Amino acid sequence: MNKFAPSLLAVGLAAALVGCQENGPQDDKITINKNPYPSTYTPISTTSTLITNATVLTGTGERLDDADVLLVDGKVQQVGKDLAVKADTTIDAQGKWVTPGIIDVHSHLGAYPNPSVESHQDGNEMTSPNTAEVWVEHSVWPQDPGFNRAREGGITSLQILPGSANLFGGRGVTLKNVPAHTMQGMKFPDAPYGLKMACGENPKRVYGRKGVLPSTRMGNMAGYRTAWIGAQEYKRAWDKYDAEYAEGKNPEAPNRDIKYDTLRGVLEGEVMIHNHCYKAEEMAMMIDLSKEFNYHAGTFHHGIEAYKIADLLADNGSCAALWPDWWGFKMEAYDMVQENVAIVDAVKNSCAVVHSDSDTTIQRLNQEAAKVMYRANENGFDISEEHAIKWITTNAAKSLGIDDKTGSLEAGKQGDVVIWNQSPFSVYAKAEQVFVDGAKVYDRNDSTYQATSDFMLGQK
Amino acid sequence: MKNLSRSFSLSLVAAGLLASGAVNAQSLAIINATIHTSTEQGVLKGASIVMDNGKITAINPAEVSADEIIDANGKIVTPGFIASNNQLGLVEVGAVAGSRDAGDDKAGIDFDVSLAYNAHSSLIPYARKGGVTRDVITPYGGDSIFAGLASVVDLSGSLESDVQKQAALVVHLGERRKGSRAFTLQTLINKLDAHQTKLSKKDKKDDDKPSTEDKVMAKVLSGDMPLVISVSRAADIIELIKVKEQFGVNLVLSGAQDAVVVKEHIAKANIPVIISAMDNLPGSFDSLHANLNNAGLLEKAGVKVLLTVGGDASHNIYQLRYDAGNAVSYGMSQQGALKAVTSNVADVFGINAGSIEVGKAADVVMWTNDPFEISSNVSRMFINGTEVSTQSRQDKLRDRYTTDSNMPRAYTK
Repeated sequence: MNKFAPSLLAVGLAAALVGCQENGPQDDKITINKNPYPSTYTPISTTSTLITNATVLTGTGERLDDADVLLVDGKVQQVGKDLAVKADTTIDAQGKWVTPGIIDVHSHLGAYPNPSVESHQDGNEMTSPNTAEVWVEHSVWPQDPGFNRAREGGITSLQILPGSANLFGGRGVTLKNVPAHTMQGMKFPDAPYGLKMACGENPKRVYGRKGVLPSTRMGNMAGYRTAWIGAQEYKRAWDKYDAEYAEGKNPEAPNRDIKYDTLRGVLEGEVMIHNHCYKAEEMAMMIDLSKEFNYHAGTFHHGIEAYKIADLLADNGSCAALWPDWWGFKMEAYDMVQENVAIVDAVKNSCAVVHSDSDTTIQRLNQEAAKVMYRANENGFDISEEHAIKWITTNAAKSLGIDDKTGSLEAGKQGDVVIWNQSPFSVYAKAEQVFVDGAKVYDRNDSTYQATSDFMLGQK
Repeated sequence: MKNLSRSFSLSLVAAGLLASGAVNAQSLAIINATIHTSTEQGVLKGASIVMDNGKITAINPAEVSADEIIDANGKIVTPGFIASNNQLGLVEVGAVAGSRDAGDDKAGIDFDVSLAYNAHSSLIPYARKGGVTRDVITPYGGDSIFAGLASVVDLSGSLESDVQKQAALVVHLGERRKGSRAFTLQTLINKLDAHQTKLSKKDKKDDDKPSTEDKVMAKVLSGDMPLVISVSRAADIIELIKVKEQFGVNLVLSGAQDAVVVKEHIAKANIPVIISAMDNLPGSFDSLHANLNNAGLLEKAGVKVLLTVGGDASHNIYQLRYDAGNAVSYGMSQQGALKAVTSNVADVFGINAGSIEVGKAADVVMWTNDPFEISSNVSRMFINGTEVSTQSRQDKLRDRYTTDSNMPRAYTK
């Protein structure tokens, strides 16, 4: 994935424009704080846990039977058979299955929380087709009971995204699914930001009604292009300022625009695109759009028709985050096939992800993946559990740019782990214990480890 | 795409022959089956079932005789599942207004959605993938608390499908976007009261022809037509139990996320409950007790439970079996969950199907394995004794895009 390719063209232009400022005493350098709402989450585990005799799906495509997983100081230290080690806690997982913590790349928990009352509708800033300036983390209510339900389903990390009413919906945020009473207390340290974009019916419906652009799909494209042109100019202005300052000049800093801060972040490879986009022809155009403005098209979310352009997605290094079977709620969701994820996945260099976009199915992404695996295998595919688990672990981590930190059970990765009572691909599977950074955050059989939202306390 | 085979092409041949709503003239038997009857009989192993003239005509006869005999090789056979509380055949695409016929601002007690039922909807073959053979299609309604009349349809996809009209009167109570729930409950009580008074007047003139509303309300008041009320809060349910006691209506609760709080009251009042097994978030102050355990807890309390798919139920009906599996996982009995998607629905809506019993409609599904498990699937399926296919538009799209061709995809059909 060519996510971090610098915008060489823009850098060159900025350099060429240098030379008109006077040398002299420099004002303080204006720098933009890229992390003004930093994570305060700190892993709480300083102990070691050994999980023994389990069927382990590593998330890297491997299945190990009767294997052990050792977590030390919040990290996966070893995975293998008959580990000759001692730990503070040993869990006999005979007959049970162990997987990496499950990751959902598309959630609105906290921004559209339960109870779903008027004052909780904080996920869609439906006041302009381009609201790249909003950050969904500023809407997250950490007491959403949905976080707890998702944890009980094995979710250890998730990306919260703004809604899809706008061409540019704003920044997403990746969270560790730990109970906290501030957003910062859940924020995944050092995860890249996402930018929500949306194709198709939603933006043109919302703004068409208001009589402003876009009211058509061509209006959508015009809206994106206009915004990226502005972003390029903004980036050029700041690059020029930085370059001239570095030369010892005293240039005037450009006006700050937080909308363009985010788009500039995309152009510089720091912010990853998460694009709500259902249809084959639209995804193909969004890829061309990204090339026109020299950024990476990122992950396509919902992609009902991704199976029609599986090769194109893989060639572009784009992940496709998909439902197994949602369909029919609007025209752009009409061409669903149950094997969508499997068809996308079958291409070399693909990145197929199963996502939820739901406070309900986020609790059972394992079953969502199972549906794809079994339906595809009935129709000529040969997908194993150890492969299918990647759709909700490793590939999801890749989509979020956190695959160097979590998503697989490999030495050095964060100790995000689920112990299942049986194969997670069964309808009867339940997460029994869930670990985040080596700390137990959920235990089905011990109420000590069952978090409850403030909202639910004392309700009759 | 090289790892794809064409294993599904055989079943497509069958698809062409199928999907007629007509009753099969040929008799058919399934032998060596593990039959989950959804009756007191429970599970019958190594059993046989004979279907003729659209009905189940024999179970475990001394000698099996039929035009066609299918050896199940021990596979599980169940009654076809019966879905409810959705708009199958009444909506094609949710956001396409012209394809939506389940509601109308002016809808009321006499609103009969079955008049808009489209048996050729592409949702129907897809729903059959879940072993669903019949469905209680339910109006959305409009401005009134009276949403209209539910109907029962078979899923043959035939323009001659069985349509059982006036299966229930559907009412929406509970929280309102505007105004008070007291007003809506009072509206219901007043309506029942007015019709009760009207019916008790003996001195009707001959030219006083009863309206559709009069006829519907007469059936509701006699208990012949179920009164399905969507409501959730425990306090509201207690009020409705009083309504049942006062008017003798055949009350059915729908949604009912907080029914678990007053489950003993509901059991004692003999009120069936339609719930989504997956409902476990406090969506509002009416549903603070939504929980995955609720289906099992209601069952244990002696409540007749009907499972329905939540959310966009119409497009996702096929998932009913997974919902049942999850209900089992969280405490419902296996047979109880089967009844909750078959015979309990039939009992409540007066459908002559939903169990493997002589005389019932021959809606029968043979499964590759446990019907609730994700790894299993429909093996063969019969509606009114006629075999139906589970092939859908989705399969055709998949085939088009996974079949190698030098021509544009549009030429692959």
